[in-house]
Amino acid sequence: MSLEQFKRRDALPGYIFYEAEKKPQNGWESFKRVLKRTFKGELFVGLWIVFREMIKRGNSHTLSYPQEKLAIGPRYRAIHKLLRLLESGNERCIGCGLCEKICIAKCIRMDTRIDENSRKEVSQYTINFGRCIFCGFCAEVCPELAIVHSGEYENASEQRAHYALKEDMLTPLDEFKANKQKEFKGFGALSDNADSFVKKTPLAY
Amino acid sequence: MKTVKVTIDGKEIQTSLDRTILQVARENNIYIPTMCYLTKVEPIGACRLCVVEVEGLDGMVLSCQEKVVDGAVIQTNSKALQEERQNIMKLYALNHPLECGVCVKSGECDLQNKTSEFEVNEQSFSLRDIKRKVENWGVISYDSSLCILCEKCVKVCNEIVGKGQLKVEPGGYKAIIVNTKLEDSCIDCGECMAVCPVGALAVNDFKYTTNPWELKKVPSTCTFCSSGCELSYEVKQIGIENSKEKIYRVTNNYEYSSLCGAGRFGFDYENLVTKKDEDEFLNAIEAFKKAEVIKFSSLITNEEALLLKKIAKRVDAKLVCSDAFGFSKFLRAFKKARGKSLWSSTQKKLSQSDAIVVFGSRIKDDAPVVKNHIAMATKRKKAKVVYMHPIEDFAISNLVTKFIKYEPGSEEAMALMLLQVFANKEEMTQDLQDFVDDIDIGFLSGESSISEEEIDELKEEFWKKKRFTLVVGADVFNHPEVENIAKILAAIERYTDFELLVIPPNGNSLGVSLICDLVEKHEGFSVGYNAPADYVLSALGDGDLGMPALNQQEGTFVTLDKRVVPLNAGLEYKGFILNDIANSLGVGSTHTIDFTKELPVDKGFRSIEFDSLEVKFSVDGDDLRGYELETILCDSQIELSEPDELPSYDGTVIYIVNPASNPNPFTNRAKLTSSEAKLIGTKQFASAAKISDGDVVEFEVCGNYISRVFKIDDTLKGTFALNPTFDMGLKAFDLPIYRFSKVKIKKRG
Repeated sequence: MSLEQFKRRDALPGYIFYEAEKKPQNGWESFKRVLKRTFKGELFVGLWIVFREMIKRGNSHTLSYPQEKLAIGPRYRAIHKLLRLLESGNERCIGCGLCEKICIAKCIRMDTRIDENSRKEVSQYTINFGRCIFCGFCAEVCPELAIVHSGEYENASEQRAHYALKEDMLTPLDEFKANKQKEFKGFGALSDNADSFVKKTPLAY
Repeated sequence: MKTVKVTIDGKEIQTSLDRTILQVARENNIYIPTMCYLTKVEPIGACRLCVVEVEGLDGMVLSCQEKVVDGAVIQTNSKALQEERQNIMKLYALNHPLECGVCVKSGECDLQNKTSEFEVNEQSFSLRDIKRKVENWGVISYDSSLCILCEKCVKVCNEIVGKGQLKVEPGGYKAIIVNTKLEDSCIDCGECMAVCPVGALAVNDFKYTTNPWELKKVPSTCTFCSSGCELSYEVKQIGIENSKEKIYRVTNNYEYSSLCGAGRFGFDYENLVTKKDEDEFLNAIEAFKKAEVIKFSSLITNEEALLLKKIAKRVDAKLVCSDAFGFSKFLRAFKKARGKSLWSSTQKKLSQSDAIVVFGSRIKDDAPVVKNHIAMATKRKKAKVVYMHPIEDFAISNLVTKFIKYEPGSEEAMALMLLQVFANKEEMTQDLQDFVDDIDIGFLSGESSISEEEIDELKEEFWKKKRFTLVVGADVFNHPEVENIAKILAAIERYTDFELLVIPPNGNSLGVSLICDLVEKHEGFSVGYNAPADYVLSALGDGDLGMPALNQQEGTFVTLDKRVVPLNAGLEYKGFILNDIANSLGVGSTHTIDFTKELPVDKGFRSIEFDSLEVKFSVDGDDLRGYELETILCDSQIELSEPDELPSYDGTVIYIVNPASNPNPFTNRAKLTSSEAKLIGTKQFASAAKISDGDVVEFEVCGNYISRVFKIDDTLKGTFALNPTFDMGLKAFDLPIYRFSKVKIKKRG
C-alpha cells in the first residue's frame, strides 16, 4: 500500500453503507427532531424491560463474589505456579534461567547450584508480583512447562512488593499425591496437535 | 615480505605472502566461520568450517591453513559452502546431548551459536550413541559427551602451556580427549577449559552456580606477577537473599592471551569491609602524621605508589619497599650502564626467539606466563632453551634443552661468563675489551662450578640461531652484588645478540621502582601499607585498618612488557582507602585514578587519563592494552668489576619460591588456590638436616620463625629445599634477602 492510499483510508468496496438519518438543516427541523425523539415512547420500552428483568426470579447476572467465584479460562494469566513431573513428582524446573532472562519486568530471580548427584538444582526461585506485569513470557519460554499461570487471580496484598518464593508456587507434595495438580492449557502449553509437528530423528542402526 | 593482491568476496586486498586466507579476511572484516580456529596457536584444521572456494581450484580449501597467493580470487560464501558448513554442524550436533538448559556453557556456546547460524533445524545423520562418563581432572571436569573434538584444548596444552599432557585418543566416534599425566603434573592452569567452545571442560566449582549471561564483566589485569595478564572479573549478586556482589569466575580474552592457574582461579581474595571505621581512620591519620618510615609491598597500583610518595613527602617520611628495593637498585644500575631505562625484549618477542637463556629464576613458578611464551618459542621456532639455575626444574624439562646448574650466589660469575662467550668484542670500548679479555675464567668457573667448556658449548648450542633472549629473574635482585650484575647484563644486552627480558620480582615492582625513591632501611615509627610495621594498613584484613584488595581497586600496573595497563574494581569496597587518608593529609584527590595522568613523565609514563586506557588486542594477538612505557635514553657508562670471593652455600639451603598456583598471601585467601605450605626438599637435604618425610620442622628466615611439614620431592637435586611464603601473611612481602639462604633446620617434638 502506498503512503497516499494509506492516508486516504477509503472504505473498501466490500463495506455496506448505512443511510443514516438526515441531519437537520435549520432550527425548525431540529425542533421537530427533538419532539419526535421525546414523545416516541421508546423510553418506556426500555423501562419495561428493566422492570421485567428486575422482578423475574433467579435471574441474577452477578456473582456474590467472595462466596462465589467465576471459573477462569485456561489462557488467563494469573499468579504463577511451579509444577511437578507427572510420575516422579520431582520439580519440573531444570534451572535453565530462560524465564529470568526473558522477564521484561525483571521480577524473576533464581539461584542454582550443583546437587549431590552433580545435577543442576534450583535452590531458590522468587517472583516479585509487585513488579510482574503478567505478560506470560515466562510460561511461554519455559521448555519444561514448569512455570505456568494458575487461575489464582486474587493477589491483593497489603504491600506493594509481594514476593513469592519457590515453596509458595510449587505444587505441594500432598496435593500432588492426591492427583490435584492440573495440567496447564494456556500460554506456552502444547497444542492438541503438537505431535504432528514433531520430526523424527533418523535411526539407521 | 612480498606483497600480493588477492580478491576476497569481490574486495581487492593488498597483503603479504605469509598470511593465511583467514587472517587476511579477518583483518578486512570479512567473516569466515570457524569452530576450531584459535588465534594464539597454529591452525588446527579439525573443524573444516572455514572452507572457502578459490577460483580455478576444484573443491574447497581450508582458509585457516592455506596462505594467500598473488591474484587469487576467493569466495567465502556460496550455496555449496553453506551446505558443507551446515552438514558439518549437523555432524557436530549428532547425539550431542540436548541439555542446553542445564549446561554450564549455555549462552556462550559456540555450538549453540553456529547451529543456529547455519539453521540446523533437523538432523539427517544418525549413529548409535555410546555410554560416556564425566571425568574429574582436579579443578575442572571433562564431559566427553559434550566434547566436539575441536582439539583446541590439546593444542593449547601443548603449544601454550608446554605440558602436552592432553591428547586425543583416536577412535572415530569414540574418540575422546585424555589427560595423560593427570596425577603428577597437571598444573591446573585452566587454559584448556578457557578455550573449550562447548561445555565439555568446566570448572567444578563454577558449575551450575549461575548462567553466563547474568554475569557482569569487569575487564581488569592480573596482579599476581609482573606478566600482568589481561582478565575479566565476572560478577553477580551472591544470591536472592544476599544482594551483595561476588566474583563468580575469571575469564580472559583466550583468543589472544593466556592466564595461569593463580590468575584464573585465585579471584576471591577481596577484603570484606562492611563500613567505614571512623575511629580507626583517625588513628591511621595520626600514625601517618608521626611516621618516619612508610613501608609497603609492591603489590600496589601506580596511583597508590604515587600517593604514598606524596604522603611521605608531606609527613617527611622515608619509603621502604622490601620486595622492590633490590629491583630498583638493579634498574638504576642497568639504566646507567645500558643508556636506556628499560630492557628491550617483551613476552611477544620472547615467543618469537629461537635461542633463550633463563637466568636466575624458577620460571615455571615465578612467572608462569613467561614460561608459556618460552613454550611457544620451543614449539613454533624450535627454540633452544638453556635454563641456568642452581636447582633444576624437571617439570619443564620438555621445554629445556640444557640445564646449567651453578652454585647459589654465583650469578655474577655466570653473567660474566655469558658476556665473555657471547660478546662481539669489536664493538666494545677498549677498556671493556681489556676487561673481558682479562676475565679470570678459572676463578669464575671455580666459583660457579660451571666449567669453561659448558659455557662454550652454549655457543655451539645456539649455532645458526637468530633471535636471542635472556630472561632474567628475581634471584639477582636481592643478590648482594646486584648493581654489578645489572651492569654486566646491560653489557650483555648491548654487546651481544641477546635481548633482555627482566621479570620484576612482584606484581608492580617495576611501577613502584620507577615512581618511588626507595631506601633500604630506616629506623623510627613505621606505617605499613600491606607490609608489617608499627601501624598496619592491610588488604588481607589482618591490619589495624582495612584496605581494598587489588580486585576492589581502580588503577594501573606496569607489566614486564613495559606496558601501563588498567585495573578495574570487580567488587565494591565500603571502607576507607588510601586516597581518603591522603585527602586528610592534604595531598589526595577526588578519586585515586585522578593520579593516573600525574605519573612521572620523566620516567616514561604518559599523561593520560585513566578512563582513556583501553583493553584491546590486534588481529594477530598483539597486546595493545593501555600504553607502552617510554624508554628513557641517557649516557651509557659500563664499568665492570671482577666478582669477589663468594660466601659458600653448603649444608641445608632453602630457596624462597611460591608455587605457580599459589604465588602470594592473597591467592592463599582464595578458595580454589589456597593450599598448605610445605617445605619441599631433596633426600640429601633431609639427610643433611636429619629429618624425614612428614616431619614438622622449624627454621628461621629473616627473623621470622617458620614451622612447616617437610616433604621429600624425588625430582629435585642438590641439598635444597623449596620454601613457600604464601602463608606468612604480610611478612611474605618483607623478606629483603637473597632467595637462597642457609638455615638451621630443627625438628619439632
